[in-house]
Amino acid sequence: MAQPFVKKDDDRDDEAEYSPFIGIEKGAVLQEARVFHDPQLDPRRCSQVITKLLYLLNQGETFTKVEATEVFFAVTKLFQSRDIGLRRMVYLMIKELSPSADEVIIVTSSLMKDMNSKTDMYRANAIRVLCRITDGTLLTQIERYLKQAIVDKNPVVASAALVSGIHLLQTNPEIVKRWSNEVQEAVQSRAALVQFHALALLHQIRQNDRLAVSKLVTSLTRGSVRSPLAQCLLIRYTSQVIRESGLNTQTGDRPFYDYLEGCLRHKAEMVIFEAARAITELSGVTSRELTPAITVLQLFLSSSKPVLRFAAIRTLNKVAMTHPMAVTNCNIDMESLISDQNRSIATLAITTLLKTGNESSVDRLMKQITNFMSDIADEFKIVVVEAIRSLCLKFPLKYRTLINFLSNILREEGGFEYKKAIVDSIVILIRDIPDAKESGLFHLCEFIEDCEFTYLSTQILHFLGNEGPKTSDPSKYIRYIYNRVILENATVRASAVSTLAKFGAMVDSLKPRIFVLLRRCLFDSDDEVRDRATLYLNTLGGGDGSINGNKEVKDFLFGSLDVPLVNLEMSLKNYEPSEEPFDIDSVPREVKSQPLAEKKAPGKKPTGLGAPPSGPTSTIDAYEKMLSSIPEFSSFGKLFKSSAPVELTEAETEYAVNVVKHIYDGHVVFQYNCTNTIPEQLLENVTVIVDASEAEEFSEVTSKPLRSLPYDSPGQTFVAFEKPVGVPAIGKFSNMLKFIVKEVDPSTGEAEEDGVEDEYQLEDLDVVAADYMLKVGVSNFRNTWESMGPDCERVDEYGLGVRESLAEAVGAVIDILGMQPCEGTEVVPSNSRSHTCLLSGVFIGNVKVLVRLSFGIDGPKQVAMKLAVRSEDQTVSDAIHEIIASG
Amino acid sequence: MLLAVLFSNSEGNILIERFHGVPAEERLHWRTFLVKLGADNLKGAKSEELFVASHKSVYIVYTMLGDVCIYVVGKDEYDELALAEVIFVITSSVKDVCGKPPTERLFLDKYGKICLCLDEIVWKGMLENTDKDRIRRLIRLKPPTDI
Repeated sequence: MAQPFVKKDDDRDDEAEYSPFIGIEKGAVLQEARVFHDPQLDPRRCSQVITKLLYLLNQGETFTKVEATEVFFAVTKLFQSRDIGLRRMVYLMIKELSPSADEVIIVTSSLMKDMNSKTDMYRANAIRVLCRITDGTLLTQIERYLKQAIVDKNPVVASAALVSGIHLLQTNPEIVKRWSNEVQEAVQSRAALVQFHALALLHQIRQNDRLAVSKLVTSLTRGSVRSPLAQCLLIRYTSQVIRESGLNTQTGDRPFYDYLEGCLRHKAEMVIFEAARAITELSGVTSRELTPAITVLQLFLSSSKPVLRFAAIRTLNKVAMTHPMAVTNCNIDMESLISDQNRSIATLAITTLLKTGNESSVDRLMKQITNFMSDIADEFKIVVVEAIRSLCLKFPLKYRTLINFLSNILREEGGFEYKKAIVDSIVILIRDIPDAKESGLFHLCEFIEDCEFTYLSTQILHFLGNEGPKTSDPSKYIRYIYNRVILENATVRASAVSTLAKFGAMVDSLKPRIFVLLRRCLFDSDDEVRDRATLYLNTLGGGDGSINGNKEVKDFLFGSLDVPLVNLEMSLKNYEPSEEPFDIDSVPREVKSQPLAEKKAPGKKPTGLGAPPSGPTSTIDAYEKMLSSIPEFSSFGKLFKSSAPVELTEAETEYAVNVVKHIYDGHVVFQYNCTNTIPEQLLENVTVIVDASEAEEFSEVTSKPLRSLPYDSPGQTFVAFEKPVGVPAIGKFSNMLKFIVKEVDPSTGEAEEDGVEDEYQLEDLDVVAADYMLKVGVSNFRNTWESMGPDCERVDEYGLGVRESLAEAVGAVIDILGMQPCEGTEVVPSNSRSHTCLLSGVFIGNVKVLVRLSFGIDGPKQVAMKLAVRSEDQTVSDAIHEIIASG
Repeated sequence: MLLAVLFSNSEGNILIERFHGVPAEERLHWRTFLVKLGADNLKGAKSEELFVASHKSVYIVYTMLGDVCIYVVGKDEYDELALAEVIFVITSSVKDVCGKPPTERLFLDKYGKICLCLDEIVWKGMLENTDKDRIRRLIRLKPPTDI
C-alpha cells in the first residue's frame, strides 16, 4: 500500500522541479533536427523535435535565414513518413516557418498530392498550408481544386477552403471573387461552421455591392441560419443594410427591425447580445424600438458571468450618452454593480449612472463613488472625473457637492494624468459656472500648497493670475502665491512672480504690498525669477523706472504674444547676436497648421489649462489674430464667429480641403485649409474659385491665394465676401480648387521647373442662419428670462409635420437655430408626448437671445411647436421666427 | 481580428504567444501589459473564472486554468463576447489534451498537442473551430464524427 503513495510523491517532486524544456538551446535543437534526414524515420522522436522547435518559436526565438532554410528542407523530408501524428506536426511546422517564395516550390508537389488525397483530413490541412505559403502564380494553378473543396461534402475540407479564401481575398481579390458561385452554394450548407465561414467570405466578396448585400440579407433573414456565429454576422450585415436604406417612408417602419427584435429571443447569448447592440446603435432609434433591447441587457446585468455583465454595462453606457432616460430603469441593477469585483465593470456602472441620474440622486451617488474611488486604478479614476465634470455642467446647481468631491480626490494620492484631469475639470467648472469660481479657486490654492507637479503648479498660478484679481477679495490668494516664491523650485517661483504682478496691475489697493513682495524676489537665487521681478517692478512703477500707462501694462501682462510661438522660436534661433536688437515685428505671423499626422489624432477634448487663454475662446482668438494680420481683412471690424471646419472633400482623397466660415458684421471670409497628400507633387498658386450664384446677397471682394502647398504641410487660402451689414444672409456656394501642379522628384525632393494648371472639384458650402448665432449658455435661464422682460418677446406656433420622434424634432430645431441648450433640456425623456427646451445664444450684432420651445407630439407623430423668443431687440426676435418659418 | 493569444505561467513567464496583425515592435509592450494585468487580477482567482478588460478599442479576456494564465486580445468583431467564446474553446481543448486543468509541467508535457489545438482554433487571427471533440479528432487527422 505504501508503494504507490511514495511513487506519487516522487511524481509531484518531479512535476515541481522538472520542465521538459529546461535548459533548451536553439543550437542543440537545430542539431537534433538532423534526425529528420534519417533514412529510417522515428516518428515519435521527430515529433518531439518539432515540439521543441515550436517551443522556441513561441518563446519569441527567431531563426536566421540559413537556419530557417535548413530546418524547412529537413522538415519536408518528413512527408515520406506515413505516421499521421507526425504529418499533422509537419503541416503546423511549415506554416510556422513560412518559407520564402523560392523555397515553397520544394513542398508544393507534396502538398498538391495531399490536396488530392483520398484522406479528407490530408486534403483540408494541405489546403490550409498551401494557402498560407502560396503566391499569386501558384494560386492560379490550384484554383480549380480550391473551388471544388469549397463545395466538398466534408465540412472540414470546405471550411479550410473558405477560410483560406477569406485570407487570400486580401492578397488576390480578383481570383477569390471568381469563386462566388461556389461560396453561395456553401452558404446553404447543412454544417453550421461551413455556413458561418461561407457567409463571412460571401459578404467580403460583395461588400462593395450594396444591392447584393441587401439581397443576401433579405434571403437569409427569412431562411434558417444554423450557427449562432453566422447569425451574429447576419445581424451585423443587417444593421449595415438598415443604415444604408433609412426609414420606409410609407409606413414609417424600419426595415428588418422585426428580425432584430426576433433575435432578442434567440437561445444563444451571443445572438441576443448582437441583436441588442445592433438595435441600440440604430441611427435615430426611438424609445419604442429601444425598450426590448434594454430589457434583455438589464437581465444580463445580473448574470453570473463577468463577460456578460461587462458587455451589458458597456452597451448601456453607450446608450446613456444619447438616450439617458431609456436606461434609467436599469439604475438599481447598475448601482449594485458599483461593488463588482471586476473594476472595469464597476467603472462603467458608475459612469453610466452619472449620465442617467437625475438632480436628486446626485448626492447619494457621490457618496457611493467616494468609497469606490480608493480602490481603482488611475486610468479608471480619470474616466470617473470626466463623467463628473459633464454631470456638473448638466446640473450647475449641484456644483457645490461636485466641486467638493473633486477637491477631496485632488488631495489624495495619484499620478500626474489623474491630477491633471481633476485640475482641468475644476478649471472648466470655474469658467462655466460663475458661482463656482470662488470655491474652485480656493481649492486650487489649497492644492498648490502641496503639489509635486511643477507643470500643474505653474498652470494653476497662471490661471489664478487671470481670475483671482476679479474676485470679491483678491487679497486672500496672495498668501498662497507668495508661499510658492518661498518654498518651490525656480520654475514655479518665476510663475508665482508673474502672478503677483498680475494682481498688482489689476487691484490698485494691493499694489504697494505687491511691490514689497516683488522687491524681496530681487534677491532670489535664480536669474529668471530676479529678471521677472525687476521687469514687473519697472513696468508697474514700483522700481526706479518710469511709470507706464495702465492699459499698456495690462496689455503686456495679460495679452498673449500676437505671433505664433513656433514662428517666434524659429526667428530667435535664426537671430545672430549683433548690434541690431531682435525685432519682434520681423517674426512672420502666418499660422502654419500642424502636420498631417497630428491632425489625424482624435479630436482632443478641451482641456482646462494649456496655453493662455484657453478653452473655446482660444480658437476664435487665434483666428481673429490671424485674420487681422492679413491686410485685406483688417478693415472688416471685429470677428463675430468662426464656424467649426466643414470638410469639402471625402476622407483619403488626393487633396484634403476643409473650410472655416468667419462671420463679420458686413463680411464673410471663407478660410480653406488645404492639405496635399501626394508626396510626388508640389502645388503652387492655390486658389478656390467660388461660384456664389445661389447666394444673391453676397458679392466677392477679394481672394488671397496660397503661394505654395508642399506635401503634408497644410496651408490656407482665403476668399472674402461682402454682405448686407447685420443681416443673417444665407446662401449656397460651389467651390473649385485651382492650382499649378509641379512634379517632385522623391529622391531629391526638388520640384520641376514647369507646372501644369489643374482643377479639383470640391463639395458645396452653405451659409446658414445658425452661422450668425453664438452658442453662449446662461447659468440660470429663468432669472435671465425674467430679467429680459416681455417687451421684445415674440410668440408663435408652428406645425413641424410628421417626425420620427420628439427627440429628433427637438434636435433638428436646435441645429437650425445653432443655439446653446440650457439645463440639459436638449434631452427628451423617452415616451414623453410633450417637451420644453430652453436655448440661449448671442445673435449677430451682439444681441442676447433666449428661446423657449414647447413641443407636443400626437398619435400619428405630428409635431407641433410653440416658439417664444426674448431678446434685447425686437427685430432680432422677429429674425429668429423667420429662421424657423423658412427652415 | 484576434490580435493575440498568450499563455504564461503564474510567474509571468511566456509559454506560448501568438500575435496576428500586431507589429513586431509592439509585441513586447503587449506582453508586458498582459502579464501585468494578470499579476494584478488573477492572484487567487478561481480556475476558469473569466476576467475582462478593454483598452481603447481593444478587448482582452483572460483567465487562469490550473497553473496557466491564458489571455486573448481582439478588436472589432472580436469583442469581449467573441473572445469569451474563443477562450472557452481554448480552455476546454487544453483540459481535454491534459485530462485536467494543467500544472505548468503537464502543460509543457503536452506542448506539441496544445500547439496543434491552437492551430485548429485560431487561424491567422480568425476563429476557426469551436468544438473540443472535433478539435481532438482534427489534431490526430481524424475526420469529425458529425460527417
